[in-house]
Amino acid sequence: MNFIFPFRHAMISFLLLGLITIISQLFTSQLGLLNIALIHLIPVIVIAIKGNIRSTMVITTISVVVFDLLYVPPLYSFDVHDLSYIWSFIIFFTVGYTISYQAKKIQANAIKEIFLNTLSHDLKTPLSSILGNASLLLKEQTNDPTLRRDILIQINDSTQRMNRLVANLLDSARMQDIKSPLRKEWCDLEDIVGVALQEFRYNPKQSQIQVAIDPELKLFWGDCALLVRLVVNLIDNALKYTENGKKISLTIKNNDSIIKILCFNESDPIKKADLKNMFDRFYRIDHSADIGGSGVGLSICRDIVHAHKGVIEAYNISNGVCFEIRFSVSKSPSDRLNELL
Amino acid sequence: MRVQELILIVEDDEAISKMVSLSLQQQGFKTLIAADIQSAKRIINTDSPDLIILDLGLPDGDGKGLIKKIRSELMIPIIVVSARNDEKEVIASLDAGADDYVIKPFSIDELLARVRSAQRRFLGLQPSFNVIICNEIALDIEHHQITLRHEVLKVTPTEFNLLKYFILHRNQVLPYSRILKEVWGVGYQHEMQYLRTYINTLRKKIEPDTARPIYIQTELGIGYRFTCDSTNLD
Repeated sequence: MNFIFPFRHAMISFLLLGLITIISQLFTSQLGLLNIALIHLIPVIVIAIKGNIRSTMVITTISVVVFDLLYVPPLYSFDVHDLSYIWSFIIFFTVGYTISYQAKKIQANAIKEIFLNTLSHDLKTPLSSILGNASLLLKEQTNDPTLRRDILIQINDSTQRMNRLVANLLDSARMQDIKSPLRKEWCDLEDIVGVALQEFRYNPKQSQIQVAIDPELKLFWGDCALLVRLVVNLIDNALKYTENGKKISLTIKNNDSIIKILCFNESDPIKKADLKNMFDRFYRIDHSADIGGSGVGLSICRDIVHAHKGVIEAYNISNGVCFEIRFSVSKSPSDRLNELL
Repeated sequence: MRVQELILIVEDDEAISKMVSLSLQQQGFKTLIAADIQSAKRIINTDSPDLIILDLGLPDGDGKGLIKKIRSELMIPIIVVSARNDEKEVIASLDAGADDYVIKPFSIDELLARVRSAQRRFLGLQPSFNVIICNEIALDIEHHQITLRHEVLKVTPTEFNLLKYFILHRNQVLPYSRILKEVWGVGYQHEMQYLRTYINTLRKKIEPDTARPIYIQTELGIGYRFTCDSTNLD
């Protein structure tokens, strides 16, 4: 039933409309045309609160059609003899539009607020580490080279983290800008994994990552920069939640129609609800608050995968967690290449 | 005694220009800083620097114009500094005559490596010998063969040409379109799929670990760079 989930509110409006129709049919004479018109506004308001103008307009139209068909004389026809009914239809649409417009604005503000809160938290954490460590170096003229090195490594790690966050935000902004569509070209996913791994070249856990790539892997038509970001975020996530010495693996499989990217890390199982919700923006698993990171990474993974018409999911397997991404291959490189080989 | 080389840093952010300047001075370079294109032009005329580090996001105009102007008058290396997600500007600058680039935020090591490799190329420290050795790979131009760990590498003619082009232009950023034009020929500049496929097969032949390549580095959105840590000439 998962696929119905995004249309939940449209379904509720539909059911309401059905209920209203039954009630209105039963009590037509008692209610009067005016009250019937007013209760037909209820499903419009219910859907409009969600702030989606398109679905609001669909429900409004259906509501108006039902109202016209069943109650406005002549019954069971779309003929409207009285000009005043045109006005009520206009009012229906105006109400629907105004409410959903306002609801959208409120939602945008709420998202902005969560966004700023998370962002400032995610920037503050590495920033305070940098500030603290730098002032430590300035104040204490420590001669212990290992201590100095440790401090510098921490500063370096924190700046990398901030850099990654900024990169994520820039890519996220790019995806949300309708004016700049994906920059699609032929991408070699093996190459993309290589570039992504480069970002972690100073991470001591980097060598724990085992990479297995289908030797027959075909080129994929996508936005290479975003795909790098996808793999970087998956690796970043795996590194964050894997203890030292535990296994992390990145596998790419390929058949005629599907490319599968699997990112596995050894860890405790994740709760079912978390598995589903962790791709939501700014969602963070409760007990993981101590692990430096943002709720942004996985949601951007999801956005990138969706922008490429793919599927992303996470599931527990025997000794760890696996993230699976499936892209369907819609376009193959032209055969002209074979002639040249 | 070797004369200290002068590097001009064209950068409007004082924190960055100061840091770059200090690090270069520590490496024994002399530095000058210009905060905009106008003063950069003046310094180029009066002090004739040996290398220019140019930020593309300057307040008073287009860095590409400056690159073209410098290129028309002087043969000195230019390294551009660019913001992220601005690959188009980088490619345009490379086409206008810049030699290399770094992307903000960059580490000083990265910048110094670029400065050194640009210098080597311009000082003509890489005379054309018949055999060029790049770590475990050796290109024998005269005998038209490439060896890996002293064994002849089995490659197709296109792979050979590509690898040869890389080795001859080692440690340089090579934009996609330039590689395609030089190796495949005019008219192939946009056939990215050829390049991607050949890079993939070439990596399988020369890289110890294809997921962590040491020779053919991808410069995302821009091109490739064939890295040689120690280039020995026989």
